[in-house]
Amino acid sequence: MRYYAIINGVSMRPRQNITDLFSTFIQFNADRFSHWITEPKLRRSMENAITWLQQTEGSESFWVLYWYKYWQTEANNFSKFHLTAYLQESCYWAAQKTSDNFSSNQYTLSDCFQIAIANLDTVLNGYNPTQGFPLKNYASAIFSSTIRNLLRDRLEVNISTTWSLLRRISQKRLVESLQQAGLSEEKIATYVLAWKCFKTLYLPEQATGTRKLPTPDKATWEAIANYYNQQRIAQLQPGASEVNSEILEKWLTNCAKAARNYLYPPVVSLNASKPGQETDEFIDSLPETAAESLLTEMIAQEEVQNRAVQIESMKTVLDGAITKLDPEAQNIINLYYGQNLTQQQIAQQLEIKQYTVSRRLTKIRESLLLALAQWSQDTLHISPNSNVLKDISIVMEEWLKDNLSNSNF
Amino acid sequence: MITNSSVFNSTQIWLEFSAQQQNQAWENSQSFSLPSSRWNAYLNQICLTTVLPWLQEEYAPKAKVWPNNAALPSFWEVVNGTAIVLDNTRFVLIPSEAIDRSELRVPQEWVDIPSWMADYYLAVQVNPDDRCVIIWGYASHEQLKQGFYDVSDRTYSLPQENLIHDLNVLWLARQLATEEITRAEVTPLAILPQAQVENLLQRLGNLAIIEPRLAVPFELWGALLEHGGTRQQLYYRRMGLPQQQSIVNWLRTGVSEIAQQIGWKRIESQPDFAGAKGVELTEGEAILSRQLQIAGQQYELQVFPLKNLEQQTWRFQLQNSAPGGVIPGGFKLRLLTEDLHPFAGNEDVALTAQERLYIDVCLAPGEGLVWEIEPFPENYDREILHF
Repeated sequence: MRYYAIINGVSMRPRQNITDLFSTFIQFNADRFSHWITEPKLRRSMENAITWLQQTEGSESFWVLYWYKYWQTEANNFSKFHLTAYLQESCYWAAQKTSDNFSSNQYTLSDCFQIAIANLDTVLNGYNPTQGFPLKNYASAIFSSTIRNLLRDRLEVNISTTWSLLRRISQKRLVESLQQAGLSEEKIATYVLAWKCFKTLYLPEQATGTRKLPTPDKATWEAIANYYNQQRIAQLQPGASEVNSEILEKWLTNCAKAARNYLYPPVVSLNASKPGQETDEFIDSLPETAAESLLTEMIAQEEVQNRAVQIESMKTVLDGAITKLDPEAQNIINLYYGQNLTQQQIAQQLEIKQYTVSRRLTKIRESLLLALAQWSQDTLHISPNSNVLKDISIVMEEWLKDNLSNSNF
Repeated sequence: MITNSSVFNSTQIWLEFSAQQQNQAWENSQSFSLPSSRWNAYLNQICLTTVLPWLQEEYAPKAKVWPNNAALPSFWEVVNGTAIVLDNTRFVLIPSEAIDRSELRVPQEWVDIPSWMADYYLAVQVNPDDRCVIIWGYASHEQLKQGFYDVSDRTYSLPQENLIHDLNVLWLARQLATEEITRAEVTPLAILPQAQVENLLQRLGNLAIIEPRLAVPFELWGALLEHGGTRQQLYYRRMGLPQQQSIVNWLRTGVSEIAQQIGWKRIESQPDFAGAKGVELTEGEAILSRQLQIAGQQYELQVFPLKNLEQQTWRFQLQNSAPGGVIPGGFKLRLLTEDLHPFAGNEDVALTAQERLYIDVCLAPGEGLVWEIEPFPENYDREILHF
């Protein structure tokens, strides 16, 4: 039960049964785990489902697949909350490890937890159950990278001027920021065009200093406004009016503000991440045919579950591959995955350059990934195409943390 | 420093570049028309000079720029991205300065111009302040074609969650010999008639057109770029440079710097000059020569006037660079008009191994020609030579 190990003095009581696993949520207290709290509607939903399927409780992996399948059919909006409940620990540990890894203490555990759980859709959309990798491993990996990415973005944004920020934001992020700020489609199109004109005409005049770009001068603003007024005819809805440079500057300032706010979404109570007004009668309202076809599919998935069992043994293969690494490589991955050191810390300790650490890690991971790919090709007869390798790569990352930190405790 | 590695996933490739590299890239980026092109060239150059050596060192010693280094300015002037080839696989590096790695956004040119399209597109974040680049994901052409096409900036994009973040997956998928489809179908682009090319060059060569790539329909724009000769000419026009590819000028006053970078040299004919047989060319006269690598061997393409410059009769001649070397059977030397039309007597084919291939042409002053050789020389990029 190392999954429920005591990490940094925080103990987390494991959940006792299947119903709890899919219907309880972490309650925080002073930024640490306090206790599990049951959501009655989800509990009832689980109990109903168990009765309806005339199942004994069944295995964890059965229910993960069951709710995942439901989530895919979009027939039942409880399914996502069941999966949210299920992934509480994965999210908690990902949040804890990542927040510990950041030197500054401005990022609290609950902050990181919230960032991650808000990204559950990314996990569910990216997950491919047919390959048999455990959802919780996959989720941990995605949660960790989500948190890291957001914290990194915050660090960058905090030290960028408005104009640097606008030059260094992707279009996708800008649009998402404006959507979150509640702007209309039409307004967003206008802002994005203004931003594109800005990016085309306001450029750094030096090779460095891209975080400290000054306010564009008057002539540049005029040029941007002219260009916008030219472009709007072809690019925007008819009726988009001509603007002057003052309005343009204001729009772009708004864009930057929205982009900053995007990284600090309003805090909702963590303990509110549960279903709200849904009715209790979802099982009754579910068309029986849909439920039946789901079950048929589940039976077909037995093969997948078998594969999941086999995949468990991939961890052993990974262990074997690790012992075959040369001592230096073993040392590096132990420091990185086992002791959770940063690449920079490893570089200092081994007196090598940071990019050398990065390169070595990449090479080590390549050899491990190769070992796993070959094993799954030889044993499971899974053709190691890019999609399979991609998922192995993601899950391997979690296994490495798991295996190596375990061996160190 | 912000790029504290704790914020990186180990699957991302983190590479640093030197201050010297940075200065060099900055200096080189000054020979572009507008600030936006300069900045584009700067980011692309940093990206290339950092990623290519790493790729050669770690994975593929034979990786190289496509089509060749001399051609890069004519790409960077108008479009983001740099292509690298490795055997039969092509990669396009797509540098971006975006802090958030939310998406990979690839200009349509790299996706829909048939001879430009690649197998893989690499998302590269360039961070000039910390002097590092991060390769954080990639996608295949096939995936990109299924991605989102934005008509307003003519790009294909994929959100970060649809990319593969571990570059090891790419090498291993290749290594484990899983035959994967990386390229989707694209529609061929028409060859533009010369009058239309001239029109387009006239219009797009004007710097008042800030983003030439968006100024005309893609079918025209793509066709203009796909032809290496017209792509080069667009760059010259935007730079306000006079005709760079003039054979007559090269012979009279020396080969232009740009043409030297491509590989053209002005040399003096030797006493045993192979072309001299039956040709009134005296020893010591200037001829133009370009070394070519074809199927692993060195060859030399020569261009020189028969008789004298005024008579406008020219010979294109291909021979093996090695003493006593031959042209293998099956090689073809071919000349085409600027807009790629064949004409009578435009081709010489080696039926069996032979000493040389040559074509004589009579041209009007100012006329342009494109040469082709089969099999294609390494680093081949179409060029228009003016007479």
